[in-house]
Amino acid sequence: MWRILSWLKEPFGQAVALLVGSFLFFKYGIPLFPGSAPVPNSVVLQYTLIALVGILIFVSENEKRWVRFKQPIRATLVDDDKRRLRGVLLAVVPLAVGLVTFNFARPSVGATAGLRAVHPSPPSEIDFQGRTLRIQGLSNPLRERGSMEEHYATGMRIYYQNCLPCHGDLLDGQGHFADGLNPTPLAFDGAGTIDQLEESFLFWRIAKGGPGLPPEGTPWNSAMPIWEDFLTEDEIWAVIIFLYEQSGLEPRTWEVEGAEGAGGER
Amino acid sequence: MNRRVVSRRVVSGESGVGSGAHRNRQSAWRLVGGGVVLAYSLLTTPDSLLSQDAEAGKVIYDQWCAGCHGETGAGDGDAAAFMLPRPRDFRMAIYQIRTTASGELPTDSDMRRVIDNGMPGTTMPGWRDKLSGGERDDVIAYLKTFSRFFDGASPQAIDIGRQPGRPSDEDLAEARRLFADELQCVRCHGNQGRGDGTSAPTLTDDAGFPVRAADLAENWNFNGGGTVADIYMRMRTGLDGTPMPSNSDVIDAGIITDEQLWRVAQYVRSLSPDDPPARRDVVRAARFEGPLPSSPEDTLWENVEPYYIPMVGQITIKPRWFAPTVDGLWVRAAHNDETLTVKLTWNDASQSPDPEWDEFFQGVVQTMTDIDGPLPTQQGPDRIVVQFPVKAPEGTELPFFLGGDTRRPVYLWRWTSEPDRVEEGTATGLGTFLATGASEVTHTAVFSEGQWQLQFTRSLVPADSSIAATFVPGERLPIAFYAADGTDAEDATRGAISAWYAIYLDVPTPPRVFVAPIVAALFTVGLGLAIVWQAQRQQRKT
Repeated sequence: MWRILSWLKEPFGQAVALLVGSFLFFKYGIPLFPGSAPVPNSVVLQYTLIALVGILIFVSENEKRWVRFKQPIRATLVDDDKRRLRGVLLAVVPLAVGLVTFNFARPSVGATAGLRAVHPSPPSEIDFQGRTLRIQGLSNPLRERGSMEEHYATGMRIYYQNCLPCHGDLLDGQGHFADGLNPTPLAFDGAGTIDQLEESFLFWRIAKGGPGLPPEGTPWNSAMPIWEDFLTEDEIWAVIIFLYEQSGLEPRTWEVEGAEGAGGER
Repeated sequence: MNRRVVSRRVVSGESGVGSGAHRNRQSAWRLVGGGVVLAYSLLTTPDSLLSQDAEAGKVIYDQWCAGCHGETGAGDGDAAAFMLPRPRDFRMAIYQIRTTASGELPTDSDMRRVIDNGMPGTTMPGWRDKLSGGERDDVIAYLKTFSRFFDGASPQAIDIGRQPGRPSDEDLAEARRLFADELQCVRCHGNQGRGDGTSAPTLTDDAGFPVRAADLAENWNFNGGGTVADIYMRMRTGLDGTPMPSNSDVIDAGIITDEQLWRVAQYVRSLSPDDPPARRDVVRAARFEGPLPSSPEDTLWENVEPYYIPMVGQITIKPRWFAPTVDGLWVRAAHNDETLTVKLTWNDASQSPDPEWDEFFQGVVQTMTDIDGPLPTQQGPDRIVVQFPVKAPEGTELPFFLGGDTRRPVYLWRWTSEPDRVEEGTATGLGTFLATGASEVTHTAVFSEGQWQLQFTRSLVPADSSIAATFVPGERLPIAFYAADGTDAEDATRGAISAWYAIYLDVPTPPRVFVAPIVAALFTVGLGLAIVWQAQRQQRKT
């Protein structure tokens, strides 16, 4: 115990402790922050290397410290009383290198990563239940007529009877069927989801479903049904109202985007 | 209350760091201390629910709970007819997951636990991430207003003592005997615990809806949690409203001891794997030098790794099915450079069609919505479809995962339990099927104690590669599954589906895999020796 503490007084011990500490932080500390995911190993390695460079710059910046830093390394290489440690290192390090190499060389079969646009550009018009519907500039007609409470109630019924198993009670895309699907269902809660989209975009995606995705939205693995086969036009608009009300998000509107051509970039 | 104090402390810690340019040790410690206190308060739920507000709870309930449980709490919300088991009817004040004796009301923390964590194996999610602790408490207050039984009641959790240490093999054998004999668990849960006991087909809950005896080999689906303590608690308190009884009276009558009941809980836990199966994207077909396993029960399968494929309801194409029986398939595959064999294992309490299960079947038909057309009038067979693309895909574009489409057809092995038969063919959409002339696929299906084992075998190269997939060792081929339980009214396109996965036929390990590490290690030894030699030479010089 005391020996470890006395090592920590030496620059070499400090450098090693700092390096190990920063590795542990990158690997296990960062995922503890709310909202962060585990850090991939390659990124941990990168961060640790950067930390190593920083530590080396620090210990070599002062000539005296540099000499003291090198002292234990040198002693391990040449001192007679360190012969045993030397032997152990000469055996263990090559073995570790061999093991790492083996893990790299071992054939592994991963999944093919397919790039996929989550929010592809909508077409300017679609064929909806046999008639042409212009998507560009289209706004939710239910917001102009009837009572919002009724639209919300209709939307809620539609959502609970049709969308719930995948998109979930919490609108978090974690319904009880979500785990078995690939791609996983989209979430509607939180910034960066449907608040980025016009209601007409949702109408298009709901009406046409997974099979109606443009080529950049493939592979065609989406389980999203073609809802125009199940729902009426008003029912789709009602469920859109439900989604925005329930999540507390605001749709993007065509008016704000103005003449910029809002459908263009997403 | 607690939480507010904590947050003030954290704020003061932060301001201590921010105000001074000189970061003294004290403020850093205060920050750490504040963080620890905050983390602690986040990890523990407040014991006393101080300020429950039923009116505020109603607002939350109407927005988030009524869709399933109904505005009046009758368990008849919009989604109820799409669910089996049905959502809870709160008017009866009968709760399954309790720490109180059988027939008693739940405690507040019992209700809070279910709201926090949801009920695995059902459609009830956990609400921790959506509703604040206060909001969840308010909902509990509102739930209690649905029944007068809660007025002035103060239900008490039973004392369950402590779990005895790890069971020995004898302990488990004795527990197994109690499970079968004294406690009669096998009558509903079946000899292997797969929910296929002789009484299983007749089980209904208090409201008359059909209910399945839990498959005890899937503890991740246990409604009240899958730990030994959870299992013990369910056995002590029973699942009120369902046929699952409390075993407390068995202890009181001196038929078994409390410790023996703990051992039974440990035995039940031992029927499931240590961890819930992880989803992996690639099923590896092991390479055999000699003959392949010849039947599903061949011991050669013991050396082949199983892969778990989660299955979910087919709710994309009419008719949809919202409550499938099969929630996962275990897939094993092997090949010997000439032939590929694939074995599927899944739990299904009934070998459909089975007259014993008619009552259950009728219950399902009467309970589930027929929104996509009439449900079948009699039990069909159990069915499995294994699907591959006809052509190995170029790039990332795959056929539509539900039976392909006209542009990219899929190649299928289609099995039914009655008649016990496999057909080979192609499809251009779920439910379509074009049989190829003579089927090259052979199969063996075995049903035993609530479990199907089904083995398909085919040569790697088909007679006609324009209508059948070719399996190439060292290459990945997409694979997907469909499963239907006839007893669960799963006919036509009703049933369970999987996403696309891949099957990879293993190839012999190339020698470089072993040579490279040896070379690297030798090189490192050489380098190390050179450094030592160089350092010592320099040392001698000075």
